[in-house]
Amino acid sequence: MQEQPDPPVVDPTDAAQPTTVPASLPPMAEDTLAAVQAALGAEHAAVWVYGLVSAFLPASFNTSIAQGALAHRARRDATERLLGAAGAVPRPAEPAYLPPRPVADQAGALALLVTAEQDATVAWRAVLERTDDVDVRETAAEALVEESVRATRWRIAAGIDPATPAFPGRP
Amino acid sequence: MTPRRSPAVLHRRALLRALAAGAVALPLLSACTSDDAPDGPDPLAALAARAESDAAAATAIAAAVPALAAVAGEVARVRAEHAQALTAEVDRVSPPAGTAPATTPPPSAAPQVPADPAAAKAAVVKALADAEQQITPLVATVPRHRAGLIASVAAACAALQEVLA
Repeated sequence: MQEQPDPPVVDPTDAAQPTTVPASLPPMAEDTLAAVQAALGAEHAAVWVYGLVSAFLPASFNTSIAQGALAHRARRDATERLLGAAGAVPRPAEPAYLPPRPVADQAGALALLVTAEQDATVAWRAVLERTDDVDVRETAAEALVEESVRATRWRIAAGIDPATPAFPGRP
Repeated sequence: MTPRRSPAVLHRRALLRALAAGAVALPLLSACTSDDAPDGPDPLAALAARAESDAAAATAIAAAVPALAAVAGEVARVRAEHAQALTAEVDRVSPPAGTAPATTPPPSAAPQVPADPAAAKAAVVKALADAEQQITPLVATVPRHRAGLIASVAAACAALQEVLA
């Protein structure tokens, strides 16, 4: 439901600073809010991972890395706008993240990309299970599909079998 | 033995006929049946049936087309898991009658397998894309836990298309 009680001063989609967007959506329920903030956290982490891995991958991966990084930045920004529009303060990125295993080579970099995408699928599926809002569900379902596909692409590049779980996003 | 025409079944069929007669009634109906016990057929039953037929088709292709054995086998495995999970959810909401074995429909005829590997592969990809499309509009309307389940099924179908790409 897109309610706009007052004529908004700034179109949220045009705002450069998500935190200054006037609340144009009803506030989120507590469980929805926590899930969307967690998804934003996963997007921040994914953006960080895409920035880290390129140093360990040959140039043949440049396009895939650039596309994935772009997609996660866009998803992060859209999620910040969504939270801002609902009157919440988007959770900021951490200064750094601790990979499950230190990245020192191509295999480690690909494994970390799989982990980042997988973590994001888990976060967005959790959003789907914690909201009745049609628009939030649509966003979450889109993110779940896109990130499952990218996770699969990285698993194939890493030679990981099977290339997809039967239920992506199931923790 | 199950009674062939219980009042509930009659009621449901009458409702379906009424709906078929006037499609404008559909939005109204979906607006007031969002609880766990829908009056009409469970929308997840159709998803389960499609997953099952996709699994059978992929199994047949894996057996008939050696070049596709691995990927079609993967599709068959995943879609069979989907069928199982979706059926379990349908049965959870409306437990089936106790006489299931007698009423289980006989397995349908063996799926047609395209002889040409490229055509067979295209058929698998199309089935996955169709399954994904079938789910997309449902995500907005089902209860929360079902939204997670079916969106996850759609995501797996999208990922499998990537495996076949």
